[in-house]
Amino acid sequence: MACMNEDGQWIVLMGLLTALGLFFLALIINQSALVGQTTAEGVLEFPKNDIRDLRSAIFDHYDRCGNLDALMRQQNAEDIVRISLERKNAVVHFWNDTAQDISGRMLRPITIHYNNGVTVYNETVYY
Amino acid sequence: MVNDSGQLYTMEGVAAGVIMLLTAYIVISTTSIYTPGDTHIPDMQLEQLGSDVLAMMDTPDINGSDSRLNGLVRGGTGTGDTLRGEFLAGCKMRYEDPDNDLKAQVYLSYRTLSGNVSTIQLSSLDPEFTGRENTVRVTRWVQLPSGSTYDLPNLESSRPHAVLVEVLLWRA
Amino acid sequence: MSLDFLAGFTIFMLALIMVVSMVPGLLAGLESSGIDYDAVAYRTGVILVEDPGWPVYPPWEMNDLAHKGEIERIGLAVSKETPNILLSTKVDTFFNGSFFTPDDYHRLAIFGDIPYSYNFSLSSGGALIGQTGDPLPPGYGYIRRVVKIKEPGVAMINGSFASDYTAPSSNQEFTVRLDFGQLLDPTIGPAYRIDPRTEPVNVTITDFREYLNTTDPSVTNATLKSVTFWKMDPTRPIPQFTRIPFAYDTVDSNLYTLYIDYRDGNQDPCPLRPDGGVEVSENITLVLKPAATSLFTLDQNSILDIRFNFDDDPSRTNITGIHHYDYNQTNVTRPDLKPGVLEVAIW
Repeated sequence: MACMNEDGQWIVLMGLLTALGLFFLALIINQSALVGQTTAEGVLEFPKNDIRDLRSAIFDHYDRCGNLDALMRQQNAEDIVRISLERKNAVVHFWNDTAQDISGRMLRPITIHYNNGVTVYNETVYY
Repeated sequence: MVNDSGQLYTMEGVAAGVIMLLTAYIVISTTSIYTPGDTHIPDMQLEQLGSDVLAMMDTPDINGSDSRLNGLVRGGTGTGDTLRGEFLAGCKMRYEDPDNDLKAQVYLSYRTLSGNVSTIQLSSLDPEFTGRENTVRVTRWVQLPSGSTYDLPNLESSRPHAVLVEVLLWRA
Repeated sequence: MSLDFLAGFTIFMLALIMVVSMVPGLLAGLESSGIDYDAVAYRTGVILVEDPGWPVYPPWEMNDLAHKGEIERIGLAVSKETPNILLSTKVDTFFNGSFFTPDDYHRLAIFGDIPYSYNFSLSSGGALIGQTGDPLPPGYGYIRRVVKIKEPGVAMINGSFASDYTAPSSNQEFTVRLDFGQLLDPTIGPAYRIDPRTEPVNVTITDFREYLNTTDPSVTNATLKSVTFWKMDPTRPIPQFTRIPFAYDTVDSNLYTLYIDYRDGNQDPCPLRPDGGVEVSENITLVLKPAATSLFTLDQNSILDIRFNFDDDPSRTNITGIHHYDYNQTNVTRPDLKPGVLEVAIW
């Protein structure tokens, strides 16, 4: 066909451009709603119970083994570190400094470090 | 003067309009459908429940006494089924009828004489253990005093141990 | 057919095919806000079970209706360090339908702009301790938390104490002493601590016949003149007991309850200083609520005395002595932590 009439093509092109623009916006909005994970996965991922349990295990360790000889204390601490690494996939490290007088009681500052690959937790607590 | 050369524009315009309307409709009415399985909500509920029950079993009712969990772990494999029974009883507790579909398996991890971590099964094997739903694992640390092997193979009895109780919990 | 026409028509057909392929998804029509329910239920469960609430001290449950606006968050835990252990006074206030309105629960426990319907229930051993909210619909978000409930202790002074607390020449004054320095011992965990600032103090004197003056067989009761509160600060240079000003003559069940000769059934509460005294033949039950203890302006070293004065001439009772309200299990019976289940439903 000679001399096809191409005058109206710009209308359809504009329509197509608008449609593409709308799809692009929809993609952005859709992705923004899914930033991160769903709430339940977020709850599952944060090791709240693990960290609380670890703190209580470390306090138990100091309660029972704080006054034993160094080798037994070291072995007990190794228990916590090794089992955390193998079964909980978490790197745990803790140690204590000399006891200080805190409002009339002798308390040791215990430093706890926990890292399970996703969450890192550091604390210094007097116990 | 009246000819049909303008029909081209009209048709193009209509086509463009249809495209835009369809796009807008698709964009607005496409909703994401999440099934509860995708969002791991049942897993989260079960994990919180199991952690709570283990924590409450590990809380002594009277100040200074040993907790129930501590006593049951010290019984070794002999009390493993009792541990599982009490754990499940705590999980099933509800105001109305108890939540009976839950099942559990108890394991214990400890360090042996050689220093390696060993895990043994404390409760007897559940017949429905294979071919089951996804499980949730909840754990609790227990301190075992020195002086006994507590039925655990290769445990050094001369020092206190920190052991990890692991419970697999699933819905039948 | 022109190429233009084909191109335009192809685009149109593509769009149409996409729409048609998305129709099954459109017809499912799932409301996205429904996914939220479990997450909100979980969050509310955490706030109720693991958080002591805000303000922590003075405790939020001590506020009366006039000061309800000062509560920022409702939490039932005994303290921040004891998650999953609930305090019975907080539980009672939480489920008190005449104190909290549904709007309060939204503002202080559930949070968020969407007006969720809720149902909270706490049960123990199959029996319901408290429930509030609407009846459950077919589908809802849910979380179940297993908890233990800490209940207050009772100083039960029965006949077995008679030999310790009677003397032939008694001053007819019996004292129950609360040494806050001993009670608020930081080495005792919050789950097992006796804290009169947050829990009621219950003093029950039973088998009162054992405390009567047995030399005169016609004596069957004694007259309780008053129950007064005294405080002492041992850290002062010359510590001495001073009487605490209090509305001894009025009965206020928010501050205390005093029952004389309580038997099952309706009994009238008695003021702490009844007109002309009241005859006691069997038992005395005094419950001093934390709202009253907070009025006494005590600190963590104070000593609080509750003095029971009997006034008879000639004396009809030999009761005397000091009963220490402390951690000794014979002096104060503290119940074990009670297991329970808190269920939160949101829809």
